[in-house]
Amino acid sequence: MSETLVVMVRSIIAFFTLLIFAKILGKQQISQLTFFDYVLGITIGSIASELTIDLTSRAWPHWIGLLCWASLGFLMEYITMKWRYAAKYINGEPTIVIMNGKIMESALRKMKFPISDIMELLRNKNVFDLSEVDFAIIESNGQLSVLKKPEYEPVTAKDLKITKKPSGISTELIYDGILIEENLKQIKKDKKWLDKQLKSHGVKDISEVFIATLNPAGSFYVDLYKDHIKNLTDIGDYKGPY
Amino acid sequence: MRKFIVIAIPVATLILFIFVMQSDVIYKMYFDNNNITDSINLIIQDIKDEKWIDADAEIKQLSESWKKVVRIIQFSAELDEIKLFDKNMSRLKGAVMAKDKINALIELNEALEHWENIDE
Repeated sequence: MSETLVVMVRSIIAFFTLLIFAKILGKQQISQLTFFDYVLGITIGSIASELTIDLTSRAWPHWIGLLCWASLGFLMEYITMKWRYAAKYINGEPTIVIMNGKIMESALRKMKFPISDIMELLRNKNVFDLSEVDFAIIESNGQLSVLKKPEYEPVTAKDLKITKKPSGISTELIYDGILIEENLKQIKKDKKWLDKQLKSHGVKDISEVFIATLNPAGSFYVDLYKDHIKNLTDIGDYKGPY
Repeated sequence: MRKFIVIAIPVATLILFIFVMQSDVIYKMYFDNNNITDSINLIIQDIKDEKWIDADAEIKQLSESWKKVVRIIQFSAELDEIKLFDKNMSRLKGAVMAKDKINALIELNEALEHWENIDE
């Protein structure tokens, strides 16, 4: 019996089982996870690691454990999606912590949230003065959503009654020195046009280009491998190995 | 076609994993034909009748069969059960060499117990 081989085979089983279960469990991002989702992830990962290296027990019970936890996770997801009443209990609900500029002390106490944490979350949202806040809501994933008072909101094009062209999403035309012909066709341009654009930016050959994009408004962006920057800005505040 | 691949590949992978993890159960159910159990019972009978030469030959055969079985069941069975069976086999060889009937029977019964519990 080769323990190394057994661990390798069990690793493959655990790895791909986790991958498949994670795909079935959905595409939630880490930032969207509730505390329970986070704990669920850790538990499933821990079972998978035991499946891999705990050779003193059979692989099967670990795998069944993995399957049960993933199925329950999926069931919870399904229930919260179909039944809002249960979702409120399982996922929690957003809590208003600042209303009309006033801090809701009872809500903070109930959530065991110190005001220093609220201040920190506000600073993360670039709010340094409490008087600027009209509403602040702690979302069920622990993030803070902030609505500033109207006088502190930035002026928008609509406020100034200016019409702006939609910038849209840029299309990559060259990446890593290689022309993406599919994208060029998609925007109904040809190589001649691209060569002209590159020439106007002082580029002689496509291989010099790291990335080139075009947005629907017609703005062409090109970045070369050689950046020709003489005075580099160093943001490091302490001399390190790099 | 794409949907079929997206569903079929994970399902096939999971089924393969289940087969690997249940290889001991599947082996005992469909391929073993009570080979190991019969061998152990035969050796028990030989030792009871004090046929030491026959028992020695049977043990060698059992060891060979066990080596082949381990290759198949190692991915699903408990490491401890496999190691304990190996230990029983070594002790059994010693007991047969010494013509120690009591110890040989103890080891054989323990080995049988390990084999029966290997898929539980």
